[in-house]
Amino acid sequence: MSILSVTGAEKRYGSINALAGTSFEVEAGEFYCLLGPSAAGKTTTLRAIAGLETLDAGRVVFDGQDMTGQPVQGRDMAMVFQTFALYPHLTARQNLEYPLREAGHDAGEIRQRVGEIGELLRIAHTLDRKPSTMSGGEQQRLAIGRALIRRPKLLLLDEPLTNLDAKLRHDTRAEFKRLHRELGMTIVFATPDQLEALTMGERIAVINEGWIVQIGTPRELYAAPADRFVGTLVGAPTMNLLPAAGSDGKVALPFGEIGNGPWSKTLADFPAETELLFGFRPHDIRLAGPEAGPALRVDAKVHLTEPLGDITVLDLEAGDAVFKMVLPEEEAVQYRVGDRVAVEINPDKTLLFARDTGAAIR
Amino acid sequence: MTAVTSDATGTPRWLTPSPRNWRLALLIAVVAIPGSIWLAPGNVAFWISFVAVSAVTLAVTINAWGRYPGPLLVAPAIALLFVMNIFPLMWSFGLSFFRFRVNRQAPPRFAGLDNYEKILTDPTVWDRLQTTALVVVFTVAIQMIVGFLLALLFEKEFPGRRVLLMLVLTPMMLSFVAVGAFFRFYYEPTFGLLSQAVRLFTGEPFILLKTPAGALAGIVFADAWMWSPFVMLLVLAGLVSVPKYLYEAAEIDRASWWRKFRTITFPYIRSLLLLALLFRTIEAFKLFDIVFLITDGGPGSSTETIAVYVFRVSFQFFRTSQSSALAYFILFIVIVLTNLYLYFARQRSQEA
Repeated sequence: MSILSVTGAEKRYGSINALAGTSFEVEAGEFYCLLGPSAAGKTTTLRAIAGLETLDAGRVVFDGQDMTGQPVQGRDMAMVFQTFALYPHLTARQNLEYPLREAGHDAGEIRQRVGEIGELLRIAHTLDRKPSTMSGGEQQRLAIGRALIRRPKLLLLDEPLTNLDAKLRHDTRAEFKRLHRELGMTIVFATPDQLEALTMGERIAVINEGWIVQIGTPRELYAAPADRFVGTLVGAPTMNLLPAAGSDGKVALPFGEIGNGPWSKTLADFPAETELLFGFRPHDIRLAGPEAGPALRVDAKVHLTEPLGDITVLDLEAGDAVFKMVLPEEEAVQYRVGDRVAVEINPDKTLLFARDTGAAIR
Repeated sequence: MTAVTSDATGTPRWLTPSPRNWRLALLIAVVAIPGSIWLAPGNVAFWISFVAVSAVTLAVTINAWGRYPGPLLVAPAIALLFVMNIFPLMWSFGLSFFRFRVNRQAPPRFAGLDNYEKILTDPTVWDRLQTTALVVVFTVAIQMIVGFLLALLFEKEFPGRRVLLMLVLTPMMLSFVAVGAFFRFYYEPTFGLLSQAVRLFTGEPFILLKTPAGALAGIVFADAWMWSPFVMLLVLAGLVSVPKYLYEAAEIDRASWWRKFRTITFPYIRSLLLLALLFRTIEAFKLFDIVFLITDGGPGSSTETIAVYVFRVSFQFFRTSQSSALAYFILFIVIVLTNLYLYFARQRSQEA
């Protein structure tokens, strides 16, 4: 049963279309990610769900009730802002108590809940300090605590990790998963970072220019992106995209021809010499073995190496094309710039996009 | 440019005649001016002093030219400040310890703290201070309330806001004399707007300034009209500095209007309100122009503020030294208030 559904949401700021007919549904208890670049409409979507923005068109239904045009206060939701929006003149404790004050909880219960949240988020020791004297991570946990303390049915998170440093971001990702598991709350999480979406989201809606481009599980988005935008947004290092031409169910690449991908059948219906983009992930390339298999074999030259510690990203040059490949560090260590290397591209994992529309062909 | 050095004959360099030798010029001036005042008739002494001062100025300027451009550039301002502000200030401070009337020939006679004793024991002074306090309390209270409400109004966007804001700010930019004259006509019994408006209802002309309470109200109203926009401007600056997302967060947290105001808005404007309060108190304490123009202290002396009283003592009763003492007494009070103001201003900057 879906607890939240957004249907045909439209929002315009002057001449800018922030939302151009966004629709999606969130299941109860789900960790739902909105993934998209900045200014894609993620924040506007969250704000519309919370009621901070009024939509020009479309509906927001939450918990079986039409919330369109309802005031913010009537919605049983909480939101964590990108800026945290902590009340600067109140202590951490007063910040946590804030959402409970109007609801008429008695003092004992308020104290108990504050204590629980302080334990849960490990900020019990900072409760008597002002937000400005707390570290970034503590501020962020305080902001989450303030959202959780009322035990809302739905938690909206607007890029809560963007203002944290890399190490903290990594720890907090795990923390969010833990919280979600322990509290069983429905969460809608907006982020521009594909890694955050893939690691945390149970389902991800990829949003671009006010549109939902694709909705799916992290695996679906990674393996079968709906178009070139999703393909390049999800996965790191970014998917290789090479210009190609297709005829007779085969794709002509700068360094050879490939004919046995998951797209073969569909491509056969396309006219000859269709302009295509051939996509394959840096992880789906291997060093070529001694005997020829079904994979496409490419003789390439090492153009650049980027050691990342446990793995190394190699930029390879073949024909006029340059593409990336990921190798474990111990295998990569033997290659220098300019060395020749034979690699194999796994045809089952390759993707094909129309060059004009960007839509996937499969 | 070479520095002046002692020449071959061994004359000390401060005695060598040269256009830039300001030490020599100063020495000559120090001898010539008192000498001429003592020996020569007045008009001759004046011109000798004039030439001597000019010579010193010229020598200092030539000496500093190109070598100390910074000091040279600020020198005229400092000289003017000294002549127009600092010197009269010191002079009047000195006078407050003497017995002197500017309309008498008698030279000042030293009187110690007599003048201060006199003003501090003078019931009139305390009466005028009470009047001043009354004006201050009412006008500042009204300014704070009206300014605050105006700021709340102008915080929100509405059509015509910019134009209206400019109109509301206008009184603050008018000169005191214009405001005083305007209100004088406004309160005028026969053709004044107020009187005519009241006559529509009562049939009788209305003379606001006839009673002490009415006159006080008239002054308070005029001053509040003029300075409420100032309070509004300060409060408005505080209101717009509140980050919008705090209100949004509070809305998500279901806070009431009053709670939002108390926990979010008020902390941002608290120190500005204090500044406005002190600033207006200091200014209202010195209120002179509007009172002088609208009621001239009347009826009787019921609206005579301490500033107006100082004016009377010095320029109508010509008790010059006593008025100096009184002026320093007021200055002392204002300095105390100003230091309070600075204290809060510093607190504000530490918060930010």
